[in-house]
Amino acid sequence: MSLVHLQGSWTPWLGRLTLSVILYHNGIVDGAFVFAAVTGIVILGVITYYRKWGYLIREWITSLDHKKIGVMYILIGLVMMFRGFIDALMIRTQQMMADGPDSPGHLQALHGYLPPYHFDQIYSSHGTIMILFAVTPILVGLMNLIVPLQIGARDMAFPYLNAVSLWLTAAGAGLVMASLFIGDFSHAGWIGLIPLTELPYSPGVGVDYWMWAIQIGSVGTTLGTVNLIATIVKMRAPGMTWFRMPIFTWTALSTNIIGLTAFPVLGVALALLGCDRYLGTHFYTAGLGGNLMLFTDLFWIWGHPEVYFLVLPAFGIISEIIPTFSERPLFGYITMVAATFAIAGISWSVWLHHFFTMGAGPDVNGFFSVATMLVGIPTGVKVFNWAFTLYRGRLRFDTPMLWAVGAVFLLLVGGLTGMMLAIPPINYTIHNSVFVVAHFHCMVLVVAFSIFGAIAYWFPKVFGFRLDEHNGKRVFACFSLGTFLVFAAMFALGFMGMTRRLDYLADPHWKPLLIVEEIGVFFYCVACYYFFRMLHVSIRDRAKNRVGADAWGTGRSPEWIARSPVPFYNFAATPHFNALDEAAWRRGQGLSDVAPRDYEPIATPKNTIAPPLIGALAFGFGFGMVWRIWWMAGLSLIAIIGVVILRSFATETEHVISAEQIRSMETTGSSVGIVTDHISPPVAEAEAFL
Amino acid sequence: MPAHSTDPLLHPEVRQASILAYGAGFVASTVFMAIALVITLGRVLPYLGLLAAISALAMLALLAQVVLLFRLDLSETQLWKTVSLALVIPLFVLSIGLTGWMFHTLYPRTMLHFMAVQGSGSMM
Amino acid sequence: MSGAQPVLWLPGGEEHDPIANKTFGFWLYMMSDALIFAALFAAYGVLDHRFNAAGGATARQVAHPVDAFWQTLAVFASVLAYSLAMVKLKAGSRLGVLLGLGAAALLGLVFIGLEIADFASLIGQGITPERSGFLSMFFVLVAVHGLHMLFGLLWIAVMMAQVALKGFTTEVVTRLLTLRLFWTFQASIWVCVFVFVYLRGAF
Ligand code: HEM
Ligand SMILES: [Cu+2]
Repeated sequence: MSLVHLQGSWTPWLGRLTLSVILYHNGIVDGAFVFAAVTGIVILGVITYYRKWGYLIREWITSLDHKKIGVMYILIGLVMMFRGFIDALMIRTQQMMADGPDSPGHLQALHGYLPPYHFDQIYSSHGTIMILFAVTPILVGLMNLIVPLQIGARDMAFPYLNAVSLWLTAAGAGLVMASLFIGDFSHAGWIGLIPLTELPYSPGVGVDYWMWAIQIGSVGTTLGTVNLIATIVKMRAPGMTWFRMPIFTWTALSTNIIGLTAFPVLGVALALLGCDRYLGTHFYTAGLGGNLMLFTDLFWIWGHPEVYFLVLPAFGIISEIIPTFSERPLFGYITMVAATFAIAGISWSVWLHHFFTMGAGPDVNGFFSVATMLVGIPTGVKVFNWAFTLYRGRLRFDTPMLWAVGAVFLLLVGGLTGMMLAIPPINYTIHNSVFVVAHFHCMVLVVAFSIFGAIAYWFPKVFGFRLDEHNGKRVFACFSLGTFLVFAAMFALGFMGMTRRLDYLADPHWKPLLIVEEIGVFFYCVACYYFFRMLHVSIRDRAKNRVGADAWGTGRSPEWIARSPVPFYNFAATPHFNALDEAAWRRGQGLSDVAPRDYEPIATPKNTIAPPLIGALAFGFGFGMVWRIWWMAGLSLIAIIGVVILRSFATETEHVISAEQIRSMETTGSSVGIVTDHISPPVAEAEAFL
Repeated sequence: MPAHSTDPLLHPEVRQASILAYGAGFVASTVFMAIALVITLGRVLPYLGLLAAISALAMLALLAQVVLLFRLDLSETQLWKTVSLALVIPLFVLSIGLTGWMFHTLYPRTMLHFMAVQGSGSMM
Repeated sequence: MSGAQPVLWLPGGEEHDPIANKTFGFWLYMMSDALIFAALFAAYGVLDHRFNAAGGATARQVAHPVDAFWQTLAVFASVLAYSLAMVKLKAGSRLGVLLGLGAAALLGLVFIGLEIADFASLIGQGITPERSGFLSMFFVLVAVHGLHMLFGLLWIAVMMAQVALKGFTTEVVTRLLTLRLFWTFQASIWVCVFVFVYLRGAF
């Protein structure tokens, strides 16, 4: 095998990198660059000014604590979600401006303000970021935070691996962000439209960025799924039998089984594309015996399970929130578990509904159509279970509950439109129209609503105080209004024949609805503002909003028997579980305040610099591959292997806290939560960092 | 750590090592592969018959490895490995089988070239 | 826990088995790896038509079942050697484990050597991965298995060092067990490669 011959310049030291790829002549990109650079400098400056570098590195970056890792996952996800949101804003604005032959053009664009190539990169990065670097990390972070607490474990099964997963995800996200400033991003859609992603049609580095960012990020995600499954199967505390497990943990289990088995297929789909682009093979080429449909097939073998990877934890979150705020146990626990696994199972045999129109035989399309519609049965079971939980409940509409109910509503709309799409004759008429875009946004917004609900719901568990309700409800109101305006209009536009991914729209009749969508986006912007304000107000007034172990007073699952904020050792003594919904059971028995009588020493993993180092090297590897700087990629890869081997020689990776220390921390109630002023015990003794 | 200060060599997964099982696993998989080789070289079976025969032999070899080399069973030590394998096997069947089926019906509809070579090529 | 009072807390009730956790976690990783091969075999099935050869070499011309059978023997024997090392582990014999691992590594090298020789001879005849979709698939499928073998060899080397330097600590024993899973798994994958690529291709 030899490397493909590329047009354009290449030097051994810098690969394809030249100064011209950094300096742009486009106002928008310069603006984004300045914005990000200024934000970055301000953040770094503030950290330096307050001398927080040591704190950050010691307490967070090198941490193996599942809660800190969870919070960092969520932070990465929220930052990326913000970036993805800016992309969405730009897409919507371009389409509103560029409708009809008379629409004016600005900034080098014939219509609107974005030239086609730039517009294409924006929708590609929007999808890639939102699915893989925003929603996925946030959900993984939530599972990281909550699952060990729900099963009474002190940490994940493999804390070190957990940190490696986090930093690989960060490396992938970093590559997407780097593409904004150095070179460009893929223009071939988040699904990598083939053969557009092949070298002759995309000779630049954009597709390489897309490919390597996903590849590295999904290695992280796959390792994370191993960890969560092993944790749930092996780390449950005494008494936590399978059928006492909270639904969120059940959904985490099923979703990680999906992740474990689906991500490798994506890895193969992309690796074969990589062979085509780097080694000149012919997997997906149009000539010489390649088969372009193969990419589409492999991509969606992962792609459809992936959408359920996203939605199942969301179902779990809804199933936690609704009982808490209805003050009733979840209706139909067993059927909920069964439905979760039915969905996970079926999600593996429906992928072809993403390309009914490719031309497979009617029997094949029929099979996949029926399989797809079967998903509706367990999903329906879930919706009815939630409805029956609400029925005759003592409902309280705190922010988490609002998000959960909103999510169920969106699930109905998204699910029913999905059913329409699952019928091949209908699909033939609306495939690739914005009707599909509206369908899956309803679904992905189920996830987003659940995420916002989960953040509000579990925030006090992790940080010890509640988020500001007043602003939280404003976020919900504006976000919901925005959702309604954008996607109701989008369904209509789909029926009117508007296809996806257009930088210029020919039909001026679409204008009014496009303006409605733009107004919806405006409400999203307002929601964004209130979100930041909510964070600010909540942190400012945190003393007022402090909570005890059971932050909402009606919590049911076991995480509510741990102290808020959760100490780094989670439970001072291992909990013993006596019932499904342990927290509610203990409350009912008047046992909520019974503290452990004796303590035993607790071992926690010592911090280590190895995982962030591996993440940084993975970034170096990806960057080197994207720009074909072979020495950089090669050295990074060797260094990763070196770090892994070195670490495997490390001894004494655990730190033991004596029973006395635990007793004193428990009885004085000293602050051992996630944000502390003093150095936390696992860090204090971790002198050897590797 | 209070609990596991015990000798790792006493762990059940170390204890399960057995010359007999490992030797039998080696012999069984080698023999199955040798038979597969011989019937392939012998060219006595038609294509589909050969495919069925060597697939069956592959399954037997894999089964021998699962039982004798991996030592999977329903004991407490191995239970979850066995369960996870049982859950994953259907996914092999789905991903390979449905992909094969899909392309099988797709080619005659989409590839003009297919018509030209259909007579001489072997279908998958 | 006096009287009817239910048990709420169990100080020190944390009885996890770190070895079993790790081998199970590693097993899960292997399931995921198995799906990499499932996807590759699915792709192989798709790219195995006459027209995917694009006029170049077909399976018949690249698959030499007898040569591949020697590779089969090498990888099976290597796994056997590793397994015998585990029998020695049970007896607590460091030397026995080191010898077994060494033998496994040598036989693994033989396997890799045969594969490289095979690839080299094919490439010498102008049968290269760039030639056609089918050949791309053939080389990549076989090479992915080969890369796993190489990775396993590196790991065996590291484990020999750890056994020699550290003895049978919990970590070392855990890694010996997981590496055995990995190494045996390569034999299982090879069964599929041998049968579905080399034997089926030879028809
Ligand atoms: C009741 C369940 C569902 C059904 C019946 C369903 C059905 C469909 C169908 C048939 C398509 C293909 C449309 C086309 O391209 O012509 C589709 C696309 C899509 N669906 Fe769903 N779906 C369901 C649930 C979900 C869920 C839960 C999610 C995500 C959380 C989701 C996300 C997506 C995405 C992202 C796409 C389009 C991807 C793309 O082409 O870019 N769907 N859905
Ligand atoms: Cu789908």
